[in-house]
Amino acid sequence: MRIEVASLLWQLSWPELQHHIWRHLSAWFAVVLGVALAFAVHLINESALGEFSAAVRSVNGQPDFELRESHRAFGGGFDETLYARVAAHPQVVLASPVLEIETYALDAQGRRVALRILGLDALVAAPMSLDLLPRPAAGEDRLAMLDPGAIFLNGSARRRLGDTGTLTVGSAAHTVALTIKGSVAAQGPPLAVMDIAGAQASFGALGRISRIDVRLASGAQRETVLRELALPDSLRAASPDESGLRISNLSRAYRVNLTVLALVALFTGAFLVYSMLSLSVARRLPQLALLGVLGLSGRQRLTLVLAESALLGIAGSLVGLALGAGLAALALRLLAGDLGGGYFPGVAPTLHFSPLAAAVYGLLGVVAAIAGGWLPARAAQRIAAAQALKGLTPAGNAGTSSRWAVAALLAAGALALAPPLLGLPLGAYASVACLLIGGIAGVPVGVKLVLRWVPAPRGAVGLLALERARHQRQGATVAVAGIVASLALSVALTVMVGSFRGSVSTWLDQVLPADLYARSATSSAGAEVNYLPADMLAAVQALPGVQKAIGQRVYAVQLDPARPAVAVLARPLGEPAESLPLVGALLPAAPGDLGVYVSEAMVSLYGAAPGTRLQLPLPDGRLREVFVRGVWRDYARQHGAIAIAAADYQAASGDTRINDLALWLRPGAELAQVQAAVERLVGAPGLLDFASAVEVRATSLRIFDRSFVVTYWLQGVAIAIGLFGIAASFSAQVLARRKEFGALIHLGLTRSQVLQLVALEGALWSAAGTVLGLVLGLAVSVVLVKVVNPQSFHWTMDLAVPWGRLALLCLAVVASATLTAWLAARASARGAMALLVKEDW
Amino acid sequence: MPARQPLLQLRAIAKRFGAVTIFEGVDLEVQAGEFVAIVGESGVGKSTLLNCIAGLDTLDQGTVHIDGVEMSALSETAQALARRRLLGFVFQAFHVLPHLSVAKNVALPLLLLGRDEPQRVEAVLASVGLQGMGGRLPQTLSGGQLQRVAIARAVVHSPRLILADEPTGNLDPDTALRVLDSFGEQVRAGGAACVLVTHSPAAAQRADRVLVLEAHGLKAHRLKQS
Repeated sequence: MRIEVASLLWQLSWPELQHHIWRHLSAWFAVVLGVALAFAVHLINESALGEFSAAVRSVNGQPDFELRESHRAFGGGFDETLYARVAAHPQVVLASPVLEIETYALDAQGRRVALRILGLDALVAAPMSLDLLPRPAAGEDRLAMLDPGAIFLNGSARRRLGDTGTLTVGSAAHTVALTIKGSVAAQGPPLAVMDIAGAQASFGALGRISRIDVRLASGAQRETVLRELALPDSLRAASPDESGLRISNLSRAYRVNLTVLALVALFTGAFLVYSMLSLSVARRLPQLALLGVLGLSGRQRLTLVLAESALLGIAGSLVGLALGAGLAALALRLLAGDLGGGYFPGVAPTLHFSPLAAAVYGLLGVVAAIAGGWLPARAAQRIAAAQALKGLTPAGNAGTSSRWAVAALLAAGALALAPPLLGLPLGAYASVACLLIGGIAGVPVGVKLVLRWVPAPRGAVGLLALERARHQRQGATVAVAGIVASLALSVALTVMVGSFRGSVSTWLDQVLPADLYARSATSSAGAEVNYLPADMLAAVQALPGVQKAIGQRVYAVQLDPARPAVAVLARPLGEPAESLPLVGALLPAAPGDLGVYVSEAMVSLYGAAPGTRLQLPLPDGRLREVFVRGVWRDYARQHGAIAIAAADYQAASGDTRINDLALWLRPGAELAQVQAAVERLVGAPGLLDFASAVEVRATSLRIFDRSFVVTYWLQGVAIAIGLFGIAASFSAQVLARRKEFGALIHLGLTRSQVLQLVALEGALWSAAGTVLGLVLGLAVSVVLVKVVNPQSFHWTMDLAVPWGRLALLCLAVVASATLTAWLAARASARGAMALLVKEDW
Repeated sequence: MPARQPLLQLRAIAKRFGAVTIFEGVDLEVQAGEFVAIVGESGVGKSTLLNCIAGLDTLDQGTVHIDGVEMSALSETAQALARRRLLGFVFQAFHVLPHLSVAKNVALPLLLLGRDEPQRVEAVLASVGLQGMGGRLPQTLSGGQLQRVAIARAVVHSPRLILADEPTGNLDPDTALRVLDSFGEQVRAGGAACVLVTHSPAAAQRADRVLVLEAHGLKAHRLKQS
């Protein structure tokens, strides 16, 4: 006879849910939280990325392609006479010359605000991108856009810099005063538009342009046009959405890492479903056995429990999606889409709800709940009816569990060695999942091994607790799996964050040897516009209070159009092993070779391992072959950096400009006085940003800590869920073992001794679980530190295990678990202990 | 010659659940080595009476003395200590601990008294016909064997009084007879007094006295006299 699952759910599962509503609610809430966090992170990232891309489109307009330099990312530019040739091609409908200036402007308080200025021919640029059309303010001349001293700001720039009056903008070692005469509609970070001739004059780029936006006639072939134009090799046709794609590529690893972290909550949610349903099945064993005797097949029992978990997942997912969308909206309002990575500056996105993503994350919640319910469902399917009806619990199959554990751990080892896939450490993530699954499947064996070392106590309660903890170790899986998983994740995150912080701290000590730093450009992108003349260094060195000063030249090069620009740093290196945080040995450069030192990202992104040669673009557009002598660690530039000795660079390029200064002060010299002296020397306030090494170090570590604050919250959530598993397990055990406790009371145990017994069992199991969680966490941390980080962010770090903090964490978990077990037992056995065998008498 | 002090003495005990009186005016004296069976209709309070004797349920009236100790006047902890020393229990549903071996189940009362006497455990196991089975887990035993384990556990620490509630209630007649024989032997061999609650005439017949529990006290039963 066919038995409807819906009917069974109504008749059997619904009363069970009502009877243990809080336990079910907590498992449901875990699914809600997991889906909500993962969905919210996805929505925030997608909204920010979507908004950023829209801003890029808004600024770049709709050309068919852009002609820009092949290797130089910013500044320099090419001869504007090329524009006439492009515009004259019969298949070119529209050609718009653009000069891009990355600089800064001073706000009302004299602080520097990074500003991108586009020099345009408004008449030809407008059809390409209406958002860049200058709109004169009320009262201004309609032709103000042609005024070489006029500038028009977008919304973001107006908010930071004001919308009327004079704007002071940095240019080389001086400032330029421009008049704000209106606005542009372009979105995104602070941006200004001015007449191209005015921009060329103001920023020392007469006769130069950065790019030509080209729109072709209908039916024209881009390749044919390019061939006919016979452009020099130093130019290339770029896609207008290139920078959007670059940001997408650059931030992808960060976004995936955040999503994986958020999915950890869903993973622990699956555990809670597992714990809750395992206990529910254990409690209903006689009922299910009776149903088995009455004709409910094993498959139907399996279906019943899976249906329960699926319903829990569906209910959790639906609320989780709504909560996730709400969280995302709130985060976008409060954090403007920046979840700590700093990849979307100046973007104020609105929520982009995606039904497809909602379906995927909702499904993930249901799958997690069903996965959590799978083992309990199998237990319900395999009930030995006769044993269960006699009240005996079948021993678990420890052998199968051990085999799974070994297989999963072996798979984890193999996956950890896998190379990145699509630029992401997917193998390493799978390895971490296998480690957790293997560790949890190995709980019974692990508990056996750990408890083997516990000496037999002399007291009766201790002996009883130890015997039960050893013999019922299959039950330990349900009770301590949550502890093992949550502690493993906490330990892994603690070790990873601790290792990272320790490495960053050491790195800061190495890269900040001077007392005071001064910077002319706000970024390497602006280094071609904002710089200091070469003679400035000698003047600074002669200042009283300055013991030593060195200058650094910074500029950006485009080695791959699909990737962000690479920074080139030219400064006196002396002995590179001392001035750079080198990773590995240095190779000697052959006579005539120009030796450079690359950051770790250069090796993984461009294959620039020591011994290889690179074509290094110089600021004047020429390429110079260089020899990679060694690799150094750089936590500041994820997309790659190349260090070169200043003398070698100047000899190769003839460029003696400097962008940054590092100053060592004489003993007793006042930092503020030296800073004021340098400012006087430069001639105008605001041309340089100053920071002491102490300030840079403190700020860097503060930003680091803020970026990782989310991991501490996740650790707290994970541990709380683990403790909940202990509470649920032990309260259910006390109910299930009430006859056992009643018998012990008859034999002479006091009520408090029975509670002690439960607490001791909790202590033994949680101690064993803590040891396993610690070992597993250390293994996961090795994968995170040695594989996930290098593959995601292209930098390495030294593994540092904070043993003291881990010991405290473990002790806190054991103490909390013991207390939780005791409290759960006390609550479950309240008032009934003395008569627990009454039904039997 | 002075009268012997009874091992178990109940004086006018009464138990009520709210307004409902389960029993009242129950008096009983059981001498050391005496085997008393209590019968009665279902729901008359036989099991509750045993709980009251053991100090596991509160009395509404009267006193219980075991070996001169007034159980009803003791604190919960003192009652537990007295149970540990003075009493042995046999339950209808055996109540052996599933995670302990047979020998460890039997040794439990000794363990609670701080005594480590494996030879005694072996001897008691042998006396109930379970020699060589000390290492087995309860799941591997039959119902009759499980009840023998329970009997061995009840006598292993030589208690002064054994309380048994339907010890054969879960067993088939043949097994029940063998278990009762074993139970009787163990009780008499140790010189302990025994109070047995049962519905089974066969079980009651093995007692020295049979009493019927009624709402207003215990009365002698004709079963033994006939």
